[in-house]
Formats: sequence, C-alpha cells, structure tokens
Amino acid sequence: MTPLRDVWRSIVRRDPLSTDKGKSELVFLNLWLHIHPAKVKRENFKLKHTWYLGFITFYLFLILVTTGVALMFYYRPDAPQSYQDMKDLQFVVYLGSFLRNMHRWSAHGMVICVFLHMCRVFYTGSYKAPRQFNWVIGVFLFLLTLGLSFTGYLLPWDQLAFWAITVGSNIGGYAPLVGPRLKELLLGGHAVGESALLRFYVLHVAVLPSTMILLTMVHFWRVRKDGGLSRPVWKLKPAAAGPLVRIGAPAPAEAALVVVPASQDKTYGLMEVVTGKPIFETVTAEEEEDTVFSYPYAFFREAIALMATVTSVMAISLFWQAPLEELANPAKTPNPAKAPWYFLGLQELVSHSALLGGVVVPALAVLGLLAIPYLDTNPSRRPADRKWAIRAFTLFVVVNVVLIIIGTLFRGPGWALVPPWVHVSGAE
Amino acid sequence: MPQFFFALSLIALVLMLGAVWQAAAPSWKKYQQEYHRLESLGEPNAAAKAAVLNTALDIRQELLPGLQRVDRCTTCHLGVEDPTMKNAPQPFTFHPNLAPHVVAKFGCTVCHGGQGLATDKVNAHGKVPFWPEPLLPKEYIRASCGRCHKEGDVPGVPELTEGRRLFEATGCRGCHKLNGVGGSIGKDLTEEGAVRRYPEWLERHFLDPNAVSPNSPMPNFHFTKEQARALTFYMLSLTNEQMGTYYSSVRLIPSAGYGRQLFTEKNCIACHSIGGVGAKAGPDLLGVAKAHSAGWLDEQLVNPQMLYPGSTMPAYDLETNARKALITFMAAATQEDAQTILSGRPKPLTAEEAAIEGGKQSFARFGCVGCHGLNLQGGVPNPNSQGGEVPSLLHASDDYTKDEVIKIIRNGKQPPLQDTSKPAPPLYMPSWKAVLNDEDINRIADYLWSLQSKKSGW
Repeated sequence: MTPLRDVWRSIVRRDPLSTDKGKSELVFLNLWLHIHPAKVKRENFKLKHTWYLGFITFYLFLILVTTGVALMFYYRPDAPQSYQDMKDLQFVVYLGSFLRNMHRWSAHGMVICVFLHMCRVFYTGSYKAPRQFNWVIGVFLFLLTLGLSFTGYLLPWDQLAFWAITVGSNIGGYAPLVGPRLKELLLGGHAVGESALLRFYVLHVAVLPSTMILLTMVHFWRVRKDGGLSRPVWKLKPAAAGPLVRIGAPAPAEAALVVVPASQDKTYGLMEVVTGKPIFETVTAEEEEDTVFSYPYAFFREAIALMATVTSVMAISLFWQAPLEELANPAKTPNPAKAPWYFLGLQELVSHSALLGGVVVPALAVLGLLAIPYLDTNPSRRPADRKWAIRAFTLFVVVNVVLIIIGTLFRGPGWALVPPWVHVSGAE
Repeated sequence: MPQFFFALSLIALVLMLGAVWQAAAPSWKKYQQEYHRLESLGEPNAAAKAAVLNTALDIRQELLPGLQRVDRCTTCHLGVEDPTMKNAPQPFTFHPNLAPHVVAKFGCTVCHGGQGLATDKVNAHGKVPFWPEPLLPKEYIRASCGRCHKEGDVPGVPELTEGRRLFEATGCRGCHKLNGVGGSIGKDLTEEGAVRRYPEWLERHFLDPNAVSPNSPMPNFHFTKEQARALTFYMLSLTNEQMGTYYSSVRLIPSAGYGRQLFTEKNCIACHSIGGVGAKAGPDLLGVAKAHSAGWLDEQLVNPQMLYPGSTMPAYDLETNARKALITFMAAATQEDAQTILSGRPKPLTAEEAAIEGGKQSFARFGCVGCHGLNLQGGVPNPNSQGGEVPSLLHASDDYTKDEVIKIIRNGKQPPLQDTSKPAPPLYMPSWKAVLNDEDINRIADYLWSLQSKKSGW
C-alpha cells in the first residue's frame, strides 16, 4: 500500500484534518479554497444577515456554466436549425429537456438573486468604506447578468425569443446619437436575423461569461481584502462592555457577538512591516478570539447553500418545462410583443415615453446605482442611522418590482391594461 | 451541519434518479418492442424469433431537406411500408397506395401534418400548444396534395380544382391578397395553410362567416357544403414553404387533361390534324406516340429544328411537365377530340362586346361580387347604412351618370348613415384607383350600363 499512500501524499500534502495545522493547510495549500481565510468569524456566516445570496448567485452561475457547456454540444447558432436543435433536446437527447430546463430556470434565478443580493448589500450598508468600489463592480456584474440572460434569450429561435429580442433591442435603439448605431452593432443589421443570432451566441458563450468570471474574481478578492463577508458590525458590542474571554476556555453562549480586547498572554508577530492603516474593516484592534476554523464551519455552510441551490433548480426543472413556442416568424408579430420579463419595467416606461422611459430614466438609474457609495457619506451602517437612505432605496425597489409586475401580468393586446384574470380572445 | 448537507445530497440524488427515470422509458421503445413481437409471430423457428425480438431499439428518421423537415414518425409507425402489416393495429398499420409518394422521399407530415421531430404520441400528433400543423382529420388529408401540385387537376382531389375555381370566380381577391395580388380588406391568404389547426373552423366559416367570427365583414356567399369543403381544401393547400426542385417540379401533374388544355391553348390544331380532322400544314398526329418514343417526341417539342432541319414548327419553350402532358394527350387523342377542339375555338368578339366582357371579368376578379352579389343584386347586410344593405347595381344608370359612377369607383364612397348616433357601417366602397387602371374602371362602367340597356329592352 505504500506506493498508493505516496501518490496520495503527493496530491494532498496537508496534515490530518484533526489537527489545527491540517485545518489551516486545507485552506491555504489549496488553489480553490485559498480565497477563504483559514479562520472565519461566526457572524460572517449568519444566515439572517447575508441570506447567502452572494453564494447562491455564484452557485447558479456554476450551474449555468456546466449546463451551458453541455448544451453547446447540441446547439447550432444558425436559423432555423437552432429551433430544430431545441426540438431535438426535447425529443431525442438523453436528459436534454432536463438540461435545458436547468439552464433556463437557473438563468431566471440568477437575475432574481443578483438583484436580491444587491438589495441585501444596500440594506446592511455593506457598500460603505472600504467596500465602495466593490459595490461598483457588483453593479457591473448585475448588468452582465442581464446581458447574459438577454443574449441567451434569443438562442432558441422561437417566437418568444425573436420578439422579446426585437422589442428589447428596439428599446436600446431609442438612445440618442449612439442608440441606432449600438443596435446595429449588436444585431449585425437593422432587424433580428441570422447575424443577430450568431452575435448573440458569441456574446453568450464567450465574451460575456469570460468577462463575468474575471469580474467575479475581482469581486471575491475584494470581499476578502476588505475584511471578509459582511456582518452586522453595528450589533457588535464595544470591547469594554463585554467580559474578557480566556484563551482555551470554552466560549460562553453569548460570546459569538462579543468583541474582546487584545489578549494579555499572547505574543503577536508582524511577518512583514506595512506602513499605514489596514484598509480592511475592523471594529476593535483585536477580534481574533471569536474566530473558528473555516473547516468545517464555513465549508459546510457553503456546501449546504450549494446543495440547496442545486436541489431547488433540479426540482423545478423536473416539473416545469422551459417554454418553447413556434419557430421564429418575422412576418407574424404577437400582440402584445414583450421583452424578457426583467426588461418589462423598462418596456412599461417606454410605452409612456420613449426618450424619458427608454433612455433618461434607465441611464439615471444605472448611474445612480453606481454612485450610491460615493453619494452616501453617512459612515454609520446601523439601519436606525440611515432611515432616508433605506426609504429611498426601498422606493426604487418597489417601483421596479411594480413596473415589472404591471408589464408582465397586466398588459394585454395593444399594450392595453388587462388584468391577468381577464381572458382576451385572440385572433383565432 | 453535516446532517443537513447529507440530507440535501440525498435529495439531489433522488431528483437525479427521477430525471433518469423520466428519460429512461420513452414510449417509442414500448411500441418498437410490440412491433418486434408481432413480427416474430411469423418467424418459423425459435432462433429466428429470438433474433427478431432482440433487434436493437432505435429512433428512425427520414431526413427531408427538400421539404425542410425531419420525420421520425416511422419510429413507431414501423409497418407503413410492410404489406404484411395490412391488418395490424395502429401504429403499425400498412399504408396502402403509397407509391409514388414513398416515405423515404416524402416522409409523413407534409401530407398528414403532425410534429415530425417528436418521439411521443401527444407531441408527434401535434395537438399541443405552439405547433401550427397538428395531424389533419382524415377527411382533409387530401388537401395537402395542393401543397406541391399547385396547378391543374390532381387525380382524386376534385375539391382542389373546384376550390381554386371558386376562389377566382367568387371574387375572393377583391378583399383578400393571394401571392401579392388582391385587396387588403380581408386577411392575406398567401400562407393560410401554414397554420392548419382548425380546418373545421374554416369550413364552418365558409358556410356562414358570422356564425364563427361575429362581426366579420365577410359576406355570406351561401356556399353549398361541397363548395365550402372545396374552398377549405384550397385554403389548407396555401403555403409559401420553400421546397426542393424535386417537389416543386410537380406543381402541375402531366395529365392528359392538362395536355389537352395546352393543345388547345397553343393552337396546335391550326397546323396539325388528328385522324384527318384539322389543318394539313403539319403531320397528322393520330398514332404519333406509337410511331415514336416518348423521348423522341420530347426532343421534337424542345427543338423541332434538331430532328428536322428546316421544319416550320416553332419551338414553344414548354416545361418538362407540359411536354409530358402534351405527349400523354397525343397518345390518346382521337378524331372526336380534334372535332371538339375545333368547334370550341372562340369566335371573334366585336370591340364593344370585348369591353363589356372585360368589365364582367374585372368585376368578378377584383371582388365587386363579394359585396354587390354575383348577379349584382346587392343585399349583403350592412347595418346602419341607408337601407341596411349593400346597394344593388342593377339600377346604377337610373341614379347616376357614367362619369359619377367612374368617380365613385375611383375614389370610393362612405355609405350614408341611417342613424348618425350609431357607429359607421362596417362595409364601405373602397377606393379602387390603386388597384384598377382607368381602362378597367371604364370597362366595369360599360358592363353596368350594358345590363341596364338589356333590362330596358325587355
């Protein structure tokens, strides 16, 4: 057994996990895990603070990459073969429907989770110093997610895809000066056609995912460098109020949220001397005593979030089929023709005013989102101290959601206001 | 924590097994097993039986690039081309009288409808959302012949010819566009057969438009059941699909009837005779198909100078199928045929008669009859117009001068309201100046006046 053991030792070079050294080495000797610190604070993994939305979004992205690569084996970005490939996935490819369902539902899920993650970051004030720029990267990741979802929307080449992209790209075309040029660049023509399909495909499988991966890496790196996962720092009691904890003694139950002062009987060493203040977020000079090893505390929680995400997507995909309508037909416009649901708030605005709703408001919204950490100079993260910021953001979220609900459910033929429970008989 | 993780992993495993189970037992496999069982009954010994029973199960498909389809129907309908399966139950039943429309060349769905790519019954038969061509009910299947055979008679499908005739004669083009020609009051019918979900609806619609489509401006033409069926057939055959040359070359079936029509149109009888009846400038054509091979006759029709340099026969630039049709006709032509063709030649019309006849043709072709009636009696209901009906045109010359009528045809007219508080009547006289040229309009006016003079003569 020695040779086998040697092979194993050559791959896994850490000490056994029963030792503290092994637990640390598991993290920092491993390429995939070393984005984690070897030890984390318990509050970093508080469910009711982050709701694990960042993790869930990332896991959905992993599912999308995996299923997406698998789908690429069966897909030709050429009309009308693309549509036939969808039918083949449904009828002859082993587990083809399941694969496509997982990809479709994960994509919708990711748009929702990215948005919810952004809300969470706002409400917990996690965009404040030193994390301002990471918020900006996050906004770009949100836009990239929308871009990925939008480009993927066209690929099945059915009526739903064709007209959603036609409407969506028309909205983009309303921008003054650059709008029509951008639309033409994106579509490779003046209308959605074969060249648009090819461009969307290349954007969807190469350009946008690689940009997404790069930005995600920066996003994660900065989370780590800025002091780790967000935690409710305003709930942490100042050091003087808490009891001293002795190293080695079992932690009292309430110690989880207690910040302790620097311990007297411990030696500290500086491995390298860096001048200036640390950029990362600290509450007191020393919080070391409240940490636990990442293995298993963080890894199990992350794995549970992963499995919960995967099982949810699988369960949904098993019972709900991804939509597929008739073959795209440029001569047959559905009434109403609707953009993908996440752009229906925009379409609703455009239906009132093309310039104001299609250009000014969304441009201001994106610029406003990007500027939030720089406009909001209030240093406190305590919700009680930032009532107006929270009210303003809540208004933004509610208006968005209401517009999307109106556009999705309450708009019938001719974009007339029709409640979803009223049936409008069609042309047939 | 670990217990949560393992519980969730277990759920994921169960879901994966569920997906595998869903995908593992497609219904077509059961059909193929059953078919192999039926086949094995006829085998003489156990070894042969076992061999048949152990045939690999696989999806079968006909790739039909010329029809832009892939038909997987034969995955379950395995006995379609096996005569021993004549009395087998569906889906294995033999399809009689298939030749020349063999499955390998035509598949199934171009005639029967259905979703060729699907491999389960519900989806394949196509009565599912978002599939425009579900399986056609048995009585309408023959309408599909018109998808390829777009002109002339189709043997066994008189409905198509009749539907086409009715379409032109009843003036449907007045309101409906077909292949770019026609009015724009009604729906463009160029691709009416692309969505074939509701053939029964179409038929009921022809019997009484308002019964199935309330407030339809289409008048009730009081078609008979047979006429409604014929028009439905014609509508179902109207598709604009791209077809390979193999399929589009049969637009016209080279029948003797079509050959006869060509023989008459091209005025062959002006030079040739059949059994001595006709002109003597060219050779007599009785028995010509026996004296020469079909290939020789074909050559002769393509280029008469090639076989007989100095021949006075002109080259007619006929399509392959047209030449075939002529040859088929000549093979069977008799003296009586020549006689009827000779007697049926139109006598020259006077200039005045020609103008009136032209007006009558335009009147029918551009759909005036749709509202004003085949006999110009009017009477199509038009709520809230004076009299509540489209006016009769029999008395046009009593109420208007010819110039006024020409002006109304050119510019159109809104019917005067009976009650100004109610909505405007649904039917109105459209402006025709974009569709008809002045000559046409004058002819139509002449036609209306000719009726008038006939009447006063009584």
